[in-house]
Amino acid sequence: MPKIENPLLISLYSYYVEKILAETESIEEANQRLRDLGREIGEQVYLNTEIVEKTKDNVTTREDVAKLIEIVYRVLFDKKPKDVDMKTARGSVRITDDQCVWCQEVNLEGMRGFGYCEVFSGILESILEFKGVDAKVFQELSQATGADTCVWNVRLV
Amino acid sequence: MTKVGRPFVSFAFPDELFPRVKDSINLYKSDLRLMTIDTDRGLVVLSPVDNNWILTVLYVPELQLGLAIAKTKNVLRLLEGIELPPPPEEFEESVESNLQVLESIAINAASVESTEPTDAPLTPTVEVATPPVKEPETTPEPAADLLPPDSFNVQPGTIPERGPQYASALSLDSELYKEMKNLYRNFGFDVLMLVDGDISVEKIADSMFQPNNRVIDLLKWGASKGIISVPQITAEEQAAADTKTSLGRYVKCPRFEGDTSKVEKDDQDIIRLCDGSRTTEQIAESLKVPLPKVVQTVAKYRKHGLKLIGKTL
Repeated sequence: MPKIENPLLISLYSYYVEKILAETESIEEANQRLRDLGREIGEQVYLNTEIVEKTKDNVTTREDVAKLIEIVYRVLFDKKPKDVDMKTARGSVRITDDQCVWCQEVNLEGMRGFGYCEVFSGILESILEFKGVDAKVFQELSQATGADTCVWNVRLV
Repeated sequence: MTKVGRPFVSFAFPDELFPRVKDSINLYKSDLRLMTIDTDRGLVVLSPVDNNWILTVLYVPELQLGLAIAKTKNVLRLLEGIELPPPPEEFEESVESNLQVLESIAINAASVESTEPTDAPLTPTVEVATPPVKEPETTPEPAADLLPPDSFNVQPGTIPERGPQYASALSLDSELYKEMKNLYRNFGFDVLMLVDGDISVEKIADSMFQPNNRVIDLLKWGASKGIISVPQITAEEQAAADTKTSLGRYVKCPRFEGDTSKVEKDDQDIIRLCDGSRTTEQIAESLKVPLPKVVQTVAKYRKHGLKLIGKTL
């Protein structure tokens, strides 16, 4: 077993995932509940970290968004995502992480479409909102369900 | 019919087919195992019951060959362990009095297991179908604690088994048979004939070209009457069914993917059950060990290739 980073976070998060899965009726609903959880956590994150000081007051361009995402990564996980792609798709930024913190050592079978790490979508969405950016974030791929990397799509509205 | 192809008791088996059946029997004599003859009236399946008797059944032409054979085999299985006396020296072919001889045998043999007259041809309507039983009374043990159909857990992969009332449900003069016929017409009979403890619901449905749900519906009813036995819904599953529809209960099942030779002797029993199909609770229950002991062992082997597989059931 590779060493799990931040085991307390992982233990807390898997507890919430299981709770939500037990209370929801569909994969989509569970994904949404995890994003909602992330939005609530996002507020705490924004209040408790130096993200506010490290980022520009006015985040407007996709470059600004990409920069903000890297700062969130630095502050929360002390690392960089594998890739933040803002060129391929107009109006959206795609984050790729092959060492995602949220789904370490999680193996799901037969749960296609379930975004195990959707909580991060919510966190990001909420932080972006505090920075005045209207965006929808959702997870496209998760290593928990067998993908090589975790991918989130930040769609700028 | 007898081993030389003389009809002893016949239920609406068309007379004109007897010569053909007899010829076929003579052709194979002692080598006869299971034979099918394609006739213009349908498919005839011949199968020797013992050294003296051959069961001859005519199925409707639309019935699939595999299904016809499966049904015949099931009748044979019902006959297992029942000794039939040899045919009398002299008898008139296919007369009613022969039936009485059989009935007396049937009454003697009728305990839980049903008895089959030696010759039970099926009319082209499937209706008088392979009557396996000539039991004068309904089965002895009435199932005491009958549960409603919905308390049984029948999935496409479930393998139904015969229950205490199985024989009774297949005897044409029983109340149970009448009830089944009322509710499901001949479909009930046809499905029950395929229940043998080996074949899954899905396969039964497939071989009958019927939707799984229809078979499941019938089997749940059958289970509620004690005709077949299938697993019951556990309290947990019931709770899960109440709270959610499409998303099943989320469970985590340990699966060991490491080197089994490195597992300590004391832990082997637990690790052996870590195949990704059981939860830690289920492992604890089946080994009758406390849950903390299982969790302890599972945790110990995490670094030796033990994964936790999450899934919804």
